[in-house]
Amino acid sequence: MATEKEILGALADYQVQCNNNKRLRRMQRDWSRLLHFVAEDTGDVFTMNVVKGEIISNEAGAKGTPDIIVTTHSENLCDMFWGDLNPSQKYLDGEIKVKASQEDVVRLDAITMIIWPDV
Amino acid sequence: MKKDLQNIKEKVLADFATYINPMKVRTMKSAALDIVEEKRDGASVWDITGKKYIDCQTGSGIMNVGRHNREIVEALKKALDTYDIGVFLLCSKQNTDLAKKLAEITPGDLKCTMFGVGGGEANDAAIKIARGFTMKTEIIYADKAYHGHTGFALSAIGRDEYKEPFEPLIPGFKMVPFGDADAIEKVVTEDTAAVILEPIQGEGGINIPPDDYLKKVRTICDEHEVLLILDEVQTGFARTGKMFASEHWGVVPDIMTVAKSLGGGLYPISATIFTEEIMDFFIPHPFIHLSTFGGSDLGCIVGLETIKFIEKHHLADHAVEMGTRFRKGFESLLGSYPDLLLEVRQKGLMMGLQFTNQSIGPRMSKKLSERGVIAIYTGNDPSICRLMPPLIITPKEVDIVLNALEDSMKELSQESGIGKED
Repeated sequence: MATEKEILGALADYQVQCNNNKRLRRMQRDWSRLLHFVAEDTGDVFTMNVVKGEIISNEAGAKGTPDIIVTTHSENLCDMFWGDLNPSQKYLDGEIKVKASQEDVVRLDAITMIIWPDV
Repeated sequence: MKKDLQNIKEKVLADFATYINPMKVRTMKSAALDIVEEKRDGASVWDITGKKYIDCQTGSGIMNVGRHNREIVEALKKALDTYDIGVFLLCSKQNTDLAKKLAEITPGDLKCTMFGVGGGEANDAAIKIARGFTMKTEIIYADKAYHGHTGFALSAIGRDEYKEPFEPLIPGFKMVPFGDADAIEKVVTEDTAAVILEPIQGEGGINIPPDDYLKKVRTICDEHEVLLILDEVQTGFARTGKMFASEHWGVVPDIMTVAKSLGGGLYPISATIFTEEIMDFFIPHPFIHLSTFGGSDLGCIVGLETIKFIEKHHLADHAVEMGTRFRKGFESLLGSYPDLLLEVRQKGLMMGLQFTNQSIGPRMSKKLSERGVIAIYTGNDPSICRLMPPLIITPKEVDIVLNALEDSMKELSQESGIGKED
């Protein structure tokens, strides 16, 4: 089980990885979404705000009306933000649930591919 | 040997990712659909490593006559001894033979043909002809419609994701809900040139309209002097149990587009077929819409042989028979897995399984692939698994697919993330 602090730490790392990646920023510049990440084992919720491909905030709690809701075990959340798991595989195994358009599901996987091509 | 083949496969996938499309490879790998096609025969395709699959995707209906159909292969081989693709500005017997055949098999007074290479090009041509003939500009299309990725066709797609990066698109296109004729009546104006519809939406999720829909649309078009374009690219050539799906409802369009299976899985060709009255538009403009490779002589020979094969082997009747066999299996699955399977959408061998949530379509694709069946969820709605096997599929192969579905659903029912979403 991952704590709220650990997940926020992983989110902060993820934010740095994404925002510092010029190729990713260029690719995602037409993508603005509010995301909720739900840790189903702890009940913790995290909100990520992406504006024109830049992650402008990560915070604990469910803020605003999300475009995308990702629900999984707290440890999967950490592993996902650290690049230690393939989210697409976990999605297809039913371990990660994503409530979003199919386009957004692909976008999320594309981010992983760009940052961690070997995952 | 097996290891060598696996290495070759990995190299192909790596090169595909490098030189063609990395995200496609990643997505297909995730869904266990990273198949590198090698041998193809009948309803089956073999991966380069030798694994056999029954192909229920068939490029969304390219392979009605089966994979690598030997009769059509022989016709193409024979044609290659004498012909090349031909010169598009000249006339050829191969062109006229196929055009005459299309006039014979299409319903009503559809008679004249303009050839192209793919479905998008055929729909582009249809919309241009409608605008040119009527001298009006508005085109009405349906939500979740799919008509291709080229200019005019793209403007008539009912899915924003395909369109938004390329805006502004061609103006004058109005979207209405599919299956609601009243919605069309409400937006028709004096400047409406045409309504373009698929008789059954394929990419949209195997959406079968109410029985009176197309007839009502036909009436609205007649009353307002609007052309009706029916896109039979996926539904045509016996796929739904009739040569063309519009025949189920007795509706004759002013313009019909066909592609995919016209090429017999061997040669790209499409056709935009319209009435003699509409041909009048081309009399003062005989060279206003040309296609370098459209209606190549080789493609026309393949197209004609394909139609003959469909007729000779009564594939429309076979589609009904095999569709009924599938249906019995689906009914059983509906009863056994109510938390997974919501609804079956089917006309002949154009089939869609509506699952209870959007994660299940991709997950089913993966499980089916692991069991030797290729079936992929629809682009507009991933909760729907589309099944469009070759029309030559045998009863035994239908049972293999049904068993794979049963096994996949049994396994899936024991996993998390099943049932309707909140």
